[in-house]
Amino acid sequence: MIAALALMIAAGVMNYRQRRREEQARNQAVQMRLVPTNGDATAGTVDDTNQGDSIAANEAAYTSPLNGKQAPSFTLQDLSGKQVSLSSYKGRPLIVDFWATWCEPCKVEIPWFEKLHDQYAKDGLEILGVSTDDLDRGDPAKLFTQKRDISEFVTRMHMNYPILLSAESVEDQYHIDATPTTFFIDRNGRIVASTVGLASRDEIEADIRKAIGGANS
Amino acid sequence: MRTVLAFMAGTLWLLSSSSAQKLPWQNSSSAANAANQQLVHFLYPQQVTFPAGKPQTIDLHFRIAGGLHINSHTPRQKGLIATNLAEVEPSGVKITAVDFPAGSEFAFPADPATKLSIYSGEFVLKMHIVAQAGNHLVQGVLRYQACDNSTCFPPRTVPVPIDVIAK
Repeated sequence: MIAALALMIAAGVMNYRQRRREEQARNQAVQMRLVPTNGDATAGTVDDTNQGDSIAANEAAYTSPLNGKQAPSFTLQDLSGKQVSLSSYKGRPLIVDFWATWCEPCKVEIPWFEKLHDQYAKDGLEILGVSTDDLDRGDPAKLFTQKRDISEFVTRMHMNYPILLSAESVEDQYHIDATPTTFFIDRNGRIVASTVGLASRDEIEADIRKAIGGANS
Repeated sequence: MRTVLAFMAGTLWLLSSSSAQKLPWQNSSSAANAANQQLVHFLYPQQVTFPAGKPQTIDLHFRIAGGLHINSHTPRQKGLIATNLAEVEPSGVKITAVDFPAGSEFAFPADPATKLSIYSGEFVLKMHIVAQAGNHLVQGVLRYQACDNSTCFPPRTVPVPIDVIAK
């Protein structure tokens, strides 16, 4: 009985220590994430420290909990109203990029996707752009304007791949909290890489190769 | 007695550790944590007192979390979400205008050619107001959209409640 109790207490202590370590790591991550580069004299709270470079580094180090797992299935509407399912892309390497019209870093990435789409077309690479712009689905007039704005953006940016309209349930499944967030999915529907924030073109290309199953996979 | 205490302590440890277990849907990413936080804070004033019936200007102070910026009231690029203040005027209060500061010029490191108009650090809005005698609660909402150097967060709102006492 005493041995069992001692064992329980020891297990509790070990779990507590482990939890503390995780908490500390998490808190450190939050500080790194929310604080910027160039010192602001008004900085006074954790959120206001200046560590912009750390933010970028932390984003680069971010690992989606979905990495290595099957991509959550979804069916979303495209701009023409057609239903598009992730499952219909099985067997092909795929990029799923969550973006928004108000996201300036997305505008840097999108032309790269267009070129890489062409470059890796021979390998069957497909791209789905998922717009996370707010949509007032209950207000037909507003919805019309919002869809038109997205369409205009797509035309202006010459996006040469299907654009889908996001849904909250899909953003929850994919843990979308910021844009751009990009997933690289292999032919078996498994997420082999993901990025949050603007990645370099080289990083994107390396992740595409992982999805294709080429070098570095 | 000591055994009972030890048992209770052990049980408590186990309960606390199991309740702290991370569940599969609990995303611990820094981006997720940031997304759940307010990125712009209304600092002050929470209460103002001034003469009834005379036009006044109230300075509303805000602070943007470090490392982030938000679009100014007049973003330069089409499609960007401007910072705006919406107010609910209670009976006896008239808000005649809100002045926004000019934005600072900013370019994302990856796109230095595209110049944006942004706020960062602290900024002040000037609210022009007239109130009849009495206590009034002016409820404003600041809408903004924040980014850091490589990532953007969805538009959010922060409440701006001000207790107005006109004498």
